[in-house]
Amino acid sequence: MAVRSDAVAPVDWKSGRIASWLVTVDHKRIGILYIGTSLFFFVAGGILAVLMRAQLATPNEKLLTKGAYNEVLTIHGTTMIFLVVVPILAGFGNFLVPLMIGARDVAFPRLNALSYWFFLLGGIVLYSSWFASGGAAKAGWWSYPPLSELQYSPGRGQDYWILSLHILGISSLLGAINFIVTIVNMRARGMTWMRMPLFVWSILTYSILLVVALPSIAAGLTMLLLDRNAGTHFFIPTKGGNPVLYQHEFWFFGHPEVYIMVLPAMGMVSEILPVFARKPIFGYKAVAFSTLGIAFFSLLVWAHHMFTVGMPVGLDSFFMISSMVIAVPTGIKIFNWLATTWRGNLQFDTPLLFVLGFIALFTMGGLSGIFLAAFPVDWQVNDTYYVVAHFHYVLFGGSIFAIFGGLYYWWPKMFGRLLDERLGKWNFWLMFIGFNVTFLPQHMLGLLGMPRRIYTYSHGGLWEGYNLTSSIGSGIMTIGVLLFFVNVWHAHVARKGVRATNDPWLADTLEWYTTSPPPPHDFDTVPYVTSARPLRDLRRKLAEQT
Amino acid sequence: MRRKLLPVLAFAVAATLLGAGAAAAANGGFAPLPPASPNAQGIKTAYWWIFGFTAAIFVLVETLLVLFVVKYRSRGRARTVDGAQVHGHTRLELIWTAGPVIILAIIAVVVFSELPGIRNAPAATNPLRITVEGHQYYWQFDYPNGVRSIEELHVPAGRVVYLDVVSSDVVHSWWIPALGGKIQAIPGRTNTTWFQANRTGSFIGQCAELCGLYHAWMKARVIATSEQDYETWLATAAHTKLGQEEFQGVCATCHGLSGQGGYGPKISDNPLLTQPAGLEAIIEHGRGKMPAVADTWTPEQIKALESYVSKHIYTGASSGG
Repeated sequence: MAVRSDAVAPVDWKSGRIASWLVTVDHKRIGILYIGTSLFFFVAGGILAVLMRAQLATPNEKLLTKGAYNEVLTIHGTTMIFLVVVPILAGFGNFLVPLMIGARDVAFPRLNALSYWFFLLGGIVLYSSWFASGGAAKAGWWSYPPLSELQYSPGRGQDYWILSLHILGISSLLGAINFIVTIVNMRARGMTWMRMPLFVWSILTYSILLVVALPSIAAGLTMLLLDRNAGTHFFIPTKGGNPVLYQHEFWFFGHPEVYIMVLPAMGMVSEILPVFARKPIFGYKAVAFSTLGIAFFSLLVWAHHMFTVGMPVGLDSFFMISSMVIAVPTGIKIFNWLATTWRGNLQFDTPLLFVLGFIALFTMGGLSGIFLAAFPVDWQVNDTYYVVAHFHYVLFGGSIFAIFGGLYYWWPKMFGRLLDERLGKWNFWLMFIGFNVTFLPQHMLGLLGMPRRIYTYSHGGLWEGYNLTSSIGSGIMTIGVLLFFVNVWHAHVARKGVRATNDPWLADTLEWYTTSPPPPHDFDTVPYVTSARPLRDLRRKLAEQT
Repeated sequence: MRRKLLPVLAFAVAATLLGAGAAAAANGGFAPLPPASPNAQGIKTAYWWIFGFTAAIFVLVETLLVLFVVKYRSRGRARTVDGAQVHGHTRLELIWTAGPVIILAIIAVVVFSELPGIRNAPAATNPLRITVEGHQYYWQFDYPNGVRSIEELHVPAGRVVYLDVVSSDVVHSWWIPALGGKIQAIPGRTNTTWFQANRTGSFIGQCAELCGLYHAWMKARVIATSEQDYETWLATAAHTKLGQEEFQGVCATCHGLSGQGGYGPKISDNPLLTQPAGLEAIIEHGRGKMPAVADTWTPEQIKALESYVSKHIYTGASSGG
């Protein structure tokens, strides 16, 4: 039988024209598209954040008042969650999962491409809402009704927001199903569950959580859309609706979402830390099962976001206990990471710095969460800058720091060149210092009585001092983030990045077995996996033979 | 490079802790604001207990992290040199599982032991019951004898005050930090909270749930006075000052304290202020960006506002130019 020549001539994935990126179904290219698009939105959301900090730098500022400020805070939150952290993790998952489990692609490559293009479409819809009649959505990233109902949020911005989240939800759902099928079915020979990389464990858990949690917000958003456009009144109390229903629907998704954003980041930490400590992860099973434990309990804690709704004390107590229980598997991870550094040979490359930064900052964010879980204390700090500080320690100090560590670590595998170490270290230290200067004082602002989402304030004294400090910190952090892009320019445009070998870090997992960057089919051969550290096994075998 | 950075990191952590300690002593935002009511006091006690435990864990984890990072840095050892190939330790896993469980259990016990004092008002013979209604963008208070006030809640110090918190439009959140925690004002629902001001004085707070354009200016003030002053206020000032309070609490948020304009347009030269029918239409139903601020007002309230603005705010159509 004749073989059609056009079917067997793969375009070299690294140097295609634009068209080849538009039609690609290669998980690596789709992963890179995801990461690139997310970084673009990271810059957009970052600009919005800096605008807010500029407005709050001094009392009675006039830079960005009322409506504009509410739009900016809404789009900032929505961007960072739905267009940055979740999709960039999907991007890493896309690029890495097949490589890590020794597969040639994900199970459904075309579905994978669809999920990326839906993500981009969702982002475009959200950002085109700036041009909608009445401006962008301005009811906050959780858009509680009745404020988000037509009567109080006229104009089309809120509808764009709902449409965007629906599209992004479908995108995430498709991606999640793809990951689950891929991980369950396509692992290399010998890769049992207990030999699977911890990052793959975290992506599996992330995917399961997405599948379980997304329908709840989809229901809430659909009801809101119908209320606004079809005359229903699910959340309009004067017509018999109940706005608290939306809060439940939103947070039943919203809290697992927090772990959706942090578990894969923890997975990255569990991959990177051992490689740079030149040790195996301490307590592999404990780390893997704590991931599942966190995911399970994350489905039982949603109403700790609703302690001020006036729930019966029994419910408040249940959600307090379940929230505290989550601290246990989280603590297990932290202690296992600490133990992983113990008696290591710590190689201080940029990825390790970011990962250590993650541990330091996430610990802070986890501990401030215990105050919020104790519902009487939450009655005092709920909806204040204390909460803003808390979740930025978890999501920026946690997820984003791990993601930057991941970018530095896997960059040579993705693009074949190492990023510069000196710029990388400046990048880390400016981000680390800037982050703490920005967000540490926000704890104090919350305790001093500053609610979140206010566009201005007239207090002097400590309010003024802490706010100004926080705004200065955001400037330092911005410079740090920009250095990352300088570094990319330095490595690729200026072509100063050192050409990477297959395995520049002497790592443990299969993605380092193939070339950097990998060929379209990922592997010519895949070795039989004999442990959770197949590459190390291979290196030792080679050393014995010579 | 790394030899210089590590001590810097250690120093930064130490300096932060030191600074935190110093500022905590001065309560520079390291604990909830000084309480003036038993529930706020209970919350603060629970806060300090949790602070004690979490601070200890924080110091333990961060110290170990810095210690290990300094001690096990490569010191020029090549990447090919292995660290200790330790895969785990079951007893350690059990310890750092059980340890946090015990600490969290203690925290839960402390919280539950403080809870009754935070949730339940002390038994009182003569409690006051006031309805707090959230509006875009002001708080309105209804007293038992039919008196209504705006933005300023007058109470007698020492008396237990129950608040029935409701909303006429969107979700708001009632919060006076010195007098206890928050409770959301949700339309279609009545939530209850309480406080007992332990001294006379004025306690400020503001709406804590994003409620629209002027959320930042939705403030509240609780004025705790002696029983006698409270009775006097209830009998006189509450009526004579209602129009002024309404203007300052509701209208002035956007139109300025003398109607000179601000976020909203200048109104002091608008003849509408002297035309009851037109004024009622706009404040009861809203127009454009102007919310329907008076949709639940009594005729008495509207009359008070009309009389106040026509006498004190309106400066004549020509003066504005």
